Amino acid sequence: LSVSLFQAKSCICHMCGAHLNRLHSCLYCVFFGCFTKKHIHEHAKTKRHNLAIDLLYGGIYCFMCQDYIYDKDMEQIAKEEQRKAWKLQAFTPTVVSHYQCTMTGIGEKYSTWEPTKRELELLRHNPKRRKITTNCTIGLRGLINLGNTCFMNCIVQALTHTPLLRDFFLSDRHKCEMQSPSSCLVCEMSTLFQEFYSGHRSPHIPYRLLHLVWTHARHLAGYEQQDAHEFLIAALDVLHRHCKGDDNGKKANNPNHCNCIIDQIFTGGLQSDVTCQVCHGVSTTIDPFWDISLDLPGSSTPFWPLSPGSDGSVVNGESHVSGTTTLTDCLRRFTRPEHLGSSAKIKCSGCHSYQESTKQLTMKKLPIVACFHLKRFEHSAKLRRKITTYVSFPLELDMTPFMASSKESRMNGQYQQPTDSLNNDNKYSLFAVVNHQGTLESGHYTSFIRQHKDQWFKCDDAIITKASIKDVLDSEGYLLFYHKQFLEYE
Amino acid sequence: ACRMNKDAQMRATINQKLIETGERERLKELLRAKLIECGWKDQLKAHCKDVIKEKGLEHVTVDDLVAEITPKGRALVPDSVKKELLQRIRTFLAQHASL
Repeated sequence: LSVSLFQAKSCICHMCGAHLNRLHSCLYCVFFGCFTKKHIHEHAKTKRHNLAIDLLYGGIYCFMCQDYIYDKDMEQIAKEEQRKAWKLQAFTPTVVSHYQCTMTGIGEKYSTWEPTKRELELLRHNPKRRKITTNCTIGLRGLINLGNTCFMNCIVQALTHTPLLRDFFLSDRHKCEMQSPSSCLVCEMSTLFQEFYSGHRSPHIPYRLLHLVWTHARHLAGYEQQDAHEFLIAALDVLHRHCKGDDNGKKANNPNHCNCIIDQIFTGGLQSDVTCQVCHGVSTTIDPFWDISLDLPGSSTPFWPLSPGSDGSVVNGESHVSGTTTLTDCLRRFTRPEHLGSSAKIKCSGCHSYQESTKQLTMKKLPIVACFHLKRFEHSAKLRRKITTYVSFPLELDMTPFMASSKESRMNGQYQQPTDSLNNDNKYSLFAVVNHQGTLESGHYTSFIRQHKDQWFKCDDAIITKASIKDVLDSEGYLLFYHKQFLEYE
Repeated sequence: ACRMNKDAQMRATINQKLIETGERERLKELLRAKLIECGWKDQLKAHCKDVIKEKGLEHVTVDDLVAEITPKGRALVPDSVKKELLQRIRTFLAQHASL
């Protein structure tokens, strides 16, 4: 606060008292003057002090040359001072705002990238450059089906088009920790990204990937048809383990402390609140999740009503129109308070006895990439079938109503804000959809993935075709991949 | 004449308060981030390069560039950004009603 006050009182033009107008400081004496109003120019002329420094950017102005001059040493000093100033700011919470802290958090000001000597060398030896234009198809590549491997191909397409994952691998951030790098799935993913972004247009044959998956996820081995969702979870699990060099799942796995790229991108926290119906004490647990599996209408468990005495509240701009089920309907059902009947009494630590209770799930922490799994494959004791009910899903999704914090505000009687346009934390954009055509026993997986901001492509094994947004939104939907719109550093 | 003075005085007072509370810095950072995000910075950078190419690197001064790009820069700021900043300032003024 003292710094701001000091600045407010003394960083003003000595002639007109303005704070703005490109304030400069004379380098010969103590004088501040605005540039725009030429007050510093006047001072330079009358006093013959020909050098001044721009107080905002540190540039040196020479009144004889009538331009800024560039001196390597001065620039070095300016850079260093700026860096120090930022570090100072980041540690005095009273001076620096919450916003700045979330921007940098680590006390480093953003500065543009400059190549190191080694990087310059590499750039010189590899002169081929690729310019990304709006119509370029870099990153798009078909995948050969190696025998019912369409389930794997779809997931690969979704992963290679996950922006953060792509950035991680293309900037070579993976350092292999495995005993034998040839069995590292993360290394293989890295190679896969190189293949996808190489510019080759011929379809890629992912035989090494398939072999590694079979080796590390035995239950998926063989040429039978597999479930794409199971593959996604198995793949994420193996990648997560291999990031830490854990070959066979033997290392102590503490999901709360892992900071591998998979956890950074995909792991969210699901809060489960069990409320005792007698003493109203709440027992809360938070479990990590990589995906959200949603029940659909038409399954053996009843879908409607969404919750006991549910209202017709408007969520995500859509009220429930009887007919089409929406993704939001499914999420509302997922986060509804559920009465656990008299046959499922929970031991209440407040009452010290078994009581009836209600259970409710909400999102405690949202992952950067949220994957929704529509439970279309029913495997109950009585029947095995595919639920083909159409579920409509949006391009943009706001998860605010399903957050644990929203639930708390509702319970405290706080007015539930309409979708706050200034709160961007919970906004997501669709970037990949995996679809299944056919029956439970025999079917085919295809995927839609998003390129750039609004171009969609359909990936059918080796065949990639342009798709419209309508094609994507009209599709049945089995796995829906959403990416957070706004990212913050932690 | 009296009214105009009052406006200028009000402006100065508000500005002072903005600086003292650190809000001015915050707003500047917010604006900076928004302008980078929406591509404004890149657009202007490209324009600068064009001006330099046109005039020749040896013949162009910082002042020339400032004169050339200021009107374009002002025009290119998206309405959504203006709206958001205005909202922030309004909120700030509401909180410091004693002004």
